[in-house]
Amino acid sequence: MSNVLLMARLSLSEALRKKLIVVLLVLTAAFLGFYLYGILRLEQNLTERAANAGLSAGPRRGLGALPVVYSGIFGMYLVYFLGSLMAVLSTVASVSGDIESGVMQSVIARPVTRAQVVLGRWLGFTGMNVLYVLLVSVALLTGLYLITGYLPPNPTAAVAQILLGIVLITSLTVLGSTLFATLANGIAVFVLYGLGSAGGILKSIGALANSPTMESLGNAANIVMPTNALWLGASYNLQTEGALQLAQVARGANPFASTTPIEPGVLIWAAVYTALAVALAMWRFSRRDL
Amino acid sequence: MTLAIQTQQLRKEYKGRAVVQGLDLEVGEGEVFGFLGPNGAGKSTTVKMLLGLVRPTSGSVRVLGGSPDDPAVRARLGFLPEQFRFQTWMTAQEFLNFHGQLAGLKAEELRTRIPTVLERVGLGGRGTEALGGYSKGMLQRAGLAGAILAHPRLVFLDEPTSALDPVGRVEVREIIQELRREGVTVFLNSHLLSEVEQVSDRVAFVKAGEVVRAGTMNELLGGALPVMIKVDALTPQLLADLGRLGQLEQQSAQQVSVMVSGEEAIPALASAVAASGAQLYALTPQRHDLEDLFLELVGTSGDSRQAALTGRVA
Ligand SMILES: Nc1ncnc2c1ncn2[C@@H]1O[C@H](COP(=O)(O)OP(=O)(O)OP(=O)(O)O)[C@@H](O)[C@H]1O
Ligand SMILES: [Mg+2]
Repeated sequence: MSNVLLMARLSLSEALRKKLIVVLLVLTAAFLGFYLYGILRLEQNLTERAANAGLSAGPRRGLGALPVVYSGIFGMYLVYFLGSLMAVLSTVASVSGDIESGVMQSVIARPVTRAQVVLGRWLGFTGMNVLYVLLVSVALLTGLYLITGYLPPNPTAAVAQILLGIVLITSLTVLGSTLFATLANGIAVFVLYGLGSAGGILKSIGALANSPTMESLGNAANIVMPTNALWLGASYNLQTEGALQLAQVARGANPFASTTPIEPGVLIWAAVYTALAVALAMWRFSRRDL
Repeated sequence: MTLAIQTQQLRKEYKGRAVVQGLDLEVGEGEVFGFLGPNGAGKSTTVKMLLGLVRPTSGSVRVLGGSPDDPAVRARLGFLPEQFRFQTWMTAQEFLNFHGQLAGLKAEELRTRIPTVLERVGLGGRGTEALGGYSKGMLQRAGLAGAILAHPRLVFLDEPTSALDPVGRVEVREIIQELRREGVTVFLNSHLLSEVEQVSDRVAFVKAGEVVRAGTMNELLGGALPVMIKVDALTPQLLADLGRLGQLEQQSAQQVSVMVSGEEAIPALASAVAASGAQLYALTPQRHDLEDLFLELVGTSGDSRQAALTGRVA
């Protein structure tokens, strides 16, 4: 166990020392500032218009509340997208990089099992990525609330599902890192991510067009890569009753948000998939030549 | 003799090509063992199999009485890789601290041990610098510090002096001798044959993945000794006298090489020259060294090409 923690700590100090974390935080702050500034201007516009129309200040209802709801949903979508991107990029070389540079040889010659090395790397990068996405999510939702007074109906469930997606994509990247060279791994995980998104789009168009074939294709893609299904689950928790009703009228023509809560099977599969990926990475790394 | 290393019919294939084959090695505890061979002969691959970094295709490996896959066995090993690449963002102290912790050393022990090994490899006072800023030779020294850090019982040094200046080479030789005095077994891969000759108890030559000759230094280099004699003029009488002491090979009107059984025959050669009244200019025993043996066993060019031709298995 102590070896696992040692490897996890190594990953964190590496990210700190290589200035990865600083660069990330600065750029993220810039992104958040930019997005929240947009929401601030939106809020000012809406208030102005309401005043011009002679409406009293106070909570907006019905369609009037939608712009703010959507800025919450799409803000979180961006957080999820950025978080996934950062999870892949930070983790893409977690094992392969050390193999390629030769650093791994002197580490594995020590009394540490290879499974411990993989688990430690996974723990370090997962911890870092989860903490990052959690931080950005909280910052975005808090900013939204402070500016508009609006908080999505179920932010905790939404963030939890987003974080599960981040853990899954980190784990798959660690697995790829034990299987492929760094660059090939990055390409493989991004293609998988794209496949997940494509699955979501197929499903939503399939539902709109009433095409069962497309829906089953989408379902298959969701099994291979549930990251998009997890996002859709999160998006449900970010919509108000009014937004959901409107989306239902449109028969789910919006592939970025779902009108139904996530199926428990997807959550379970994502968790099992994560565990399988980590186990396979540990097993696979234990039998490769260095 | 208890064995620190024992392999039986060890074999490694990469993509169907045997790079190590039929390797039976026995290295006794406390021995300094030189492992020699041309580029691509399979030396580093062998070391990696002995450390559990590479899985043998077949055959068995025992190291310190156990399997290198067992962490408890690896806790007593030290290793300086051929490509000494370490986390460049660490300082030398952090690097050694990390490796010490992996090896299970206690924090308070590391506090005294790290400066000691840094001093030992000539990096005293440079421990707080990042490895990324180290020169090639300094990096190799840091790697050497890592190899001896955790009081190993068996140390693998894969070309430990490849990047070192002459002073560093002497220092490494001293470190190896020190390890030997402490009873530590040393497995040494090197192309610097004079160095190997100076420190090794036993050596083995590998070629295309197979051991072609192995033995103690004496077994390999002892035996017949050519002695070169140079005089003002070689008279028939002198040649006849010298011929009784060993086989002759006349090289010029002044110079002849006499093959004698060993060093004990040298004074007789000197007396023979003196008795003949010839003027002696030189009398030089031309001891065979590892380099001669290496060239003889391996030929003048590396065998990587040959290995590709002969090492392919059906
Ligand atoms: N990962 C690998 N994949 C394929 N072939 C390999 C691999 N590692 C080593 N080889 C081959 O195995 C052979 C032996 O390599 P090895 O590194 O053991 O040689 P060496 O004796 O240490 O040579 P050198 O003196 O140059 O260090 C070479 O022909 C090399 O090409
Ligand atoms: Mg080598």
